[in-house]
Amino acid sequence: MGEKKVRIGFYALTSCYGCQLQFAMMDEILQLIPNVEVACWFMIERGSYEDEPVDIALIEGSVSTEEEIELVKKIRENARIVVAVGSCAVQGGVQSWEKDKPLEELWKTVYGDAKVKFQPKMAEPVSNYIKVDYNIYGCPPEKKDFLYAIGTFLVGSWPEDIDYPVCLECRLRGNTCVLLEKGEPCLGPITRAGCDARCPAFDVACIGCRGAVGYDVAWFDSLAKTFREKGLTKEEILERMKMFNAHNPKLEEMVEKVFQGVKE
Amino acid sequence: MKNVYLPITVDHIARVEGKGGIEIVVGDDGVKEVKLNIIEGPRFFEAVTLGKKLDEALAVYPRICSFCSAAHKLTAVEAAEKAVGFTPREEIQALREVLYIGDMIESHALHLYLLVLPDYLGYSSPLKMVDEYRKEIGIALDLKNFGSWIMDELGSRAIHQENAVLGGFGKLPDRSVLEDMKKRLKEALPKAEYTFELFAKLEQYEEVEGPITHIAVKPRNGVYGIYGDYLKASDGFEFPSEEYRDHIKEFVVEHSFAKHSHYHGKPFMVGAISRLVNNSKLLYGRAKELYEGHKDLLRPTNPFANNLAQALELVYFTERAIDLIDEALAKWPIRPRDEVEIRDGFGVSTTEAPRGVLVYALRIENGRVSYADIITPTAFNLAMMEEHVRMMAEKHYNDDPEMLKLLAEMVVRAYDPCISCSVHVARL
Repeated sequence: MGEKKVRIGFYALTSCYGCQLQFAMMDEILQLIPNVEVACWFMIERGSYEDEPVDIALIEGSVSTEEEIELVKKIRENARIVVAVGSCAVQGGVQSWEKDKPLEELWKTVYGDAKVKFQPKMAEPVSNYIKVDYNIYGCPPEKKDFLYAIGTFLVGSWPEDIDYPVCLECRLRGNTCVLLEKGEPCLGPITRAGCDARCPAFDVACIGCRGAVGYDVAWFDSLAKTFREKGLTKEEILERMKMFNAHNPKLEEMVEKVFQGVKE
Repeated sequence: MKNVYLPITVDHIARVEGKGGIEIVVGDDGVKEVKLNIIEGPRFFEAVTLGKKLDEALAVYPRICSFCSAAHKLTAVEAAEKAVGFTPREEIQALREVLYIGDMIESHALHLYLLVLPDYLGYSSPLKMVDEYRKEIGIALDLKNFGSWIMDELGSRAIHQENAVLGGFGKLPDRSVLEDMKKRLKEALPKAEYTFELFAKLEQYEEVEGPITHIAVKPRNGVYGIYGDYLKASDGFEFPSEEYRDHIKEFVVEHSFAKHSHYHGKPFMVGAISRLVNNSKLLYGRAKELYEGHKDLLRPTNPFANNLAQALELVYFTERAIDLIDEALAKWPIRPRDEVEIRDGFGVSTTEAPRGVLVYALRIENGRVSYADIITPTAFNLAMMEEHVRMMAEKHYNDDPEMLKLLAEMVVRAYDPCISCSVHVARL
C-alpha cells in the first residue's frame, strides 16, 4: 500500500443494518484503520458525508423509496468501486418476497388509509438502478466475505464470485442431508456457498439467504422436481424460492418447466 | 417585521441503527415543533408474511432488525407456539433465555461503547478512539464478541439465528460448550462491572428531567428476566399481554414510516430503565448491590438513565445466564426439539428486547400466518422520544445550533433506537 489512504463509504438504504453490523463487529477492522479513511458511515461515524468521493462504496439495503434512487445514483457518481452488500442490496431482500403484489395493497395492509410525506416504492436490488461492480452475498454476509473482498481491493486486485452451491460445503462437513434424508425443503442445492453450510449443520433447512448461484447454474428446475416429488405444490415451491430470489429472472421460468401440463 | 428562523435539522442521525432525522422548528416564541423523521423505507413485514407458511414467516421476522434479531426470532417463535398451544420444556426455555441474553450483552455493549461513549469523550466515531481509549475499546470488543459467541453457539450465528425453531432448537451444543460458557460468563463479569462504573460517571442532563410512564414486561417466575405474560406500567396498572391493544394505541404520523404509540392517551417509555423502574425488586446478586448503591443515578425521570441501566443489565444478565445454564445442565442430556403440531390459533408473546418491550401477535390458520401484528420498542418510544428532544430544544434553542444538534442526538441515542425495527410497522 502507498501512503495514500483508501477512502471508503458505507451507505444504508432500507434494511435491518445487519451487514453494517457484521462489518462493524469484525475485530479485523482495527487492522484496517491505518489503511482506510471513512468518508461516510452513519452507523459509526457522526462526521459522515454522502457527497464525498470514495474509492470503495459499500451499499447495504434495497432501494425502497424515491429518495433512495437518487442516493444510489449519487453514490455511483462519487465512487470508483461500488459493492452491493447483502441480500437486500444484491437481491432486493426479504421485503421483496411479495414483489408481484401491488404496493398499494401492502401499504393498505400495514398503514390503512394513512399517508406519510415520503414516497415509498417496492423494494429492488441496487443493480436495477446503477452499475454494481461486485456483490457480497448473505443475510448477513460472513465476516470472511468482507475480509476477502476488501482485502483483495486493498492489494489492487479483484475478488471472484463463488459459483458452487451450499450443498458442496454441506457434504464436505459430513452433515446429514436435510433434504434427502429428512425430507425438508432445503434450498442448499441452488444457493451460493460461502457460509460453510451454517444452517444444515444445525439440522435446519437452508432458506437460500445468499441467493441463487450465479452464471445460470442454479438448477431451480431440478430442485423444483425434487420438491414436487416430496409433495410440494408449485405455489409452495415458488414461495420458498422467492424468499431471497424474488427478483431472479430465471426462477419462475425454470420452476414452470417442471409443472408444464401438470394440473395442480 | 417577524424574525425568520431556519429549522435546525439533523438529516441522518449517526450512530443509531437505521435511518432517521431530527427537525426542530423555532419561532418567535421559542420551539414550535420537534419531529423525528423516520425516513427508512417501509418494509411491510406483516404484509409480506401474511398467508405464508409458519416456518418461512419465522425465518423472515428476525430480519426486521439485526441488533435484536434473536429477540425478534424468539418472540415470534413464542407467539407461534402459544398460537398452536405448545409449551416448551423448562430446560429449553432456559437455554432460549441464554440465547436472548447473548443478544442483550452484544447489543448493550455495542450501544454503550460504540454508539454512546464517543459523544461523551468528544469523538465523532469509536474508530477514532482506538489510540486514546484502548482499554475501553478492548472491553467493548470483548463483551460484544462474547455475546456474539453465545448466539453463534446456541443460535447458529450472531445475526439472524436459524437455530431457534418451533419446539426448541435444531441442534444443541455439547455439554462442554455450556460448561465453557459458564466459565466465560464469570470472566466477563469484571468487564461488565467496569462498564457500569464508567457510565456511572457520565452526565445525566437535567434539561430532560420530568415524569415518565414506564412500561415493561412483568417477568415470569418472579425473577428479573426477559419473558413474561403480563405488561406492567409504572402507574401500578398491569394487564395480560393479549390485551395490549386495549391499553396501547398506535397511530400514523405523517413525518414517519414508523407509527407512534400512546398508553392510555399519553407517550410512555420502554427499555432498560423501564425494566429497572418496574422490576428492580426482582434483581439479585451483584446487580442488586450496584442498583442499591446508585438509585440516585438510575432515576425514573430521566431518559439518560437508560444508558446506565443497560450497563447494570450487563452485570445482571451475565450472572443470570450462569444460573440458567445450571438449570439446563441439571437436566442433561437435553433433547433439542419436540414435534409441534401446527393447529389453528392465536398467540401473543411479549418479551424484553434489549431496547424494551417487543410484541408479536400471530394468528395461524391451516399452517399459515393469517394475521400478524408486531410492535417494536422503538415504535413504542417514538412519541416520548420526541417529547424529550423537545425539552432539550426548549433549553438550548438559543445556543450554538451545532451544540443543540449534538444534544438532541444524544437524547435519541440514550433511547438506543432501532429504526429499522420501527418501520416494519403493524396493521391498523
